[in-house]
Amino acid sequence: MSTRHPRQPAGYDRRQFLQRSAGGALALSAFAPLLAACGGENGNGNGGGNGNGGNGGNGGGEPQLQLARPDNPVEWPLLDDNPPIESGLEPESGTLRIYNWNDYLWPRMLRRFEKEYGVTVELTTFSTADEATAKLTSGAVDFDVYFPTPDRLGRLVLGQILQPLNLDYIPNLQNAWPSLQDPFYDQGSRYTVPYTIYTTGIGYRADEIAEPPEAYGNPYDVYFDERNAGKMYLLDDSREAIAHMLLRAGVTDVNTEDPAAIEAAKQELIKLIDLVNVKLSTNDYTYIPEGRATIHQAWSGSLISAPYYLPQGTGPEVLGYWFPQDGRGVIGNDSMAIPKSAQNPVLAHHFLNFLLDEQNGYDNFVNYVGYQPPFTSIDPDRLVSDEVVPPNLESVVVRESDFDVAGFLLELSPEGANTWQNAWAEFKAGV
Amino acid sequence: MSEPGRRGRRRRGALLWPGLALPGIVWLCLFFLVPFYVVLGVAFGTVDPLFLTPQPEWNPLRWDPQAFEFVWAGLQSGGGFRTVFLRTLAYVVIAVALSLLIAYPVAYYVARFGGRFRGLLLAGLVAPFLISYLMRMLAWINLLQDDGWVNAVLVWAHVLDAPRTWLDGRASSVILGLVYGYVPFMILPLYAFLDRVDRSLLEAARDLGASRFHAFRLVTWPLSKPAVLAGCVIIALPMFGDYYTPDLLSGSPNTSLLGNQIDLYIRGGQQVPVGAALVVCLMLLLAVFMAYYLYATSRAERRLGR
Repeated sequence: MSTRHPRQPAGYDRRQFLQRSAGGALALSAFAPLLAACGGENGNGNGGGNGNGGNGGNGGGEPQLQLARPDNPVEWPLLDDNPPIESGLEPESGTLRIYNWNDYLWPRMLRRFEKEYGVTVELTTFSTADEATAKLTSGAVDFDVYFPTPDRLGRLVLGQILQPLNLDYIPNLQNAWPSLQDPFYDQGSRYTVPYTIYTTGIGYRADEIAEPPEAYGNPYDVYFDERNAGKMYLLDDSREAIAHMLLRAGVTDVNTEDPAAIEAAKQELIKLIDLVNVKLSTNDYTYIPEGRATIHQAWSGSLISAPYYLPQGTGPEVLGYWFPQDGRGVIGNDSMAIPKSAQNPVLAHHFLNFLLDEQNGYDNFVNYVGYQPPFTSIDPDRLVSDEVVPPNLESVVVRESDFDVAGFLLELSPEGANTWQNAWAEFKAGV
Repeated sequence: MSEPGRRGRRRRGALLWPGLALPGIVWLCLFFLVPFYVVLGVAFGTVDPLFLTPQPEWNPLRWDPQAFEFVWAGLQSGGGFRTVFLRTLAYVVIAVALSLLIAYPVAYYVARFGGRFRGLLLAGLVAPFLISYLMRMLAWINLLQDDGWVNAVLVWAHVLDAPRTWLDGRASSVILGLVYGYVPFMILPLYAFLDRVDRSLLEAARDLGASRFHAFRLVTWPLSKPAVLAGCVIIALPMFGDYYTPDLLSGSPNTSLLGNQIDLYIRGGQQVPVGAALVVCLMLLLAVFMAYYLYATSRAERRLGR
């Protein structure tokens, strides 16, 4: 199964609820940029694309799907009938059609691009990777830019949903971390360029918990501390929650398919039900600041948004985020790609280059998205001095060194994916 | 003389009513039977080997029962689906019973004693439900928070000594959410029925010496049984598929419902057929309830006819 994406709503996104209720009484924090984002448009939400007929599986004799791993980098093939565009073409003047997660692009960034190129940009959003795949493979809509997660990349390449990139148009790729200019999941950046990067750690209310995670010999033990009972949340996602249980048990391969390791992780999760009355949510960015959760497994980007949701009179110093100092935690990233069916492929290349521009990428990040682009120019010191993150939340900033050692939640074999999902379903059934 | 004319009219009537029913029947076929067949096709189908999207199998001869075998195994003693199923059943039964306890007196009062404020009362009861279900559940989160108004009022009134952690994975909060969410759909059919109870029947009962209570027990209550049943069915069906109420008001695995398991399997991954099979199983169960409802109402009608 694909991993859950931070932008995948639970179907009832509290952030949108707050935005739509034109939140008058919301506390103003020092993080005005995020406030400016509030009330931004949400794109036109498109309902589930489902039931695509027999479009799928391309017949035999084709390159095999490989499971990309840091120690097994994959260079996706260039297929004869799917060439990249020629160099030196003029951008088209049509409407650029973007297909992205909800709330994952600053609307003003799109206006900026429109002005610069004299075109119109149309944003369509999806809420799950499966929904997006179904729509892209149905062939019903032609998008120019798509934002795939690395764990689905191979399927999209072999199914000829994406076209290879012509990097001549994307000189700004050099702004990205060197390791992401040539990532293990897409050697040579043949089909993707990076968009954002984030980690999965432990978010907490420093003023309300007994001890911060780093005070424990094994920081993941904070989940099991009965003093936090009732206010302890894990991410409602099969991969993320089980991955932290694996790391706690010393299993460093967060993509393990060993049934015994997964079963042991499930048993640990079940223990949490009686021990601390564990609860599940993906509203880490509101539950922690509001105090509903004092410990919440969390995405780093959520903690960047969290200060905005603090009650009036409470400062961001009460928030905390733990991610292993040595970087050996869970990390994830998003990329940008161009579908094969794009009507404006040259313009699309220009758009990727536009978002990889240092200023554009930075503005998009700090004003709206909250998930950081992997630029060499962005580091914890700069974000703290720019007051994007308070000093106590420095750990939410992903460092390039993390990328080299952290574990990605990547695609599993079909059997492995079922083992993970069924273990999660059994835990979620309760006792 | 009048024979041919009457027959002609009857013939015309024979065409008129089916003709009027046709749009409804087409609607049902398009938006119920066809989607249901798609669900069946997905449940008995496979997933695309490359894109992992579900591939419905349209030919029943080639249906693959694997997903149902998986669900069946989970329904055996000790299985996860069994735990969730029994919990869902218990929550729905309690929530429906509580809804009836709340809805019946309200509907009765508005219908019998509402007087000229009847319309206003009804509008007042329905008005909050113009707001979407999710919005109201999100509002409950604020009310039920540790420092929310519910605790403030209860502590102030000395009902509680200390604030209660309502959102701490409690079955009671989930059931409360279900009752609050669906109770108007119980009130409306009850009101519609009670409003039409022939007063002369009650007067006759009183004239024959029945007390108010006896008149209610022997006349109003038996007459309103089909409406009670209808209300119960109307609210039980969506409750069985609910998954956001437990997610929002609890979040604990110990209060998760069958809808959560369906959501888990449908929303992501390559086991969508398992989710579809759960949907089919749930629908079979609900069909049993519906069949009982149809049987009970037709029996009641026959009895009234006699």
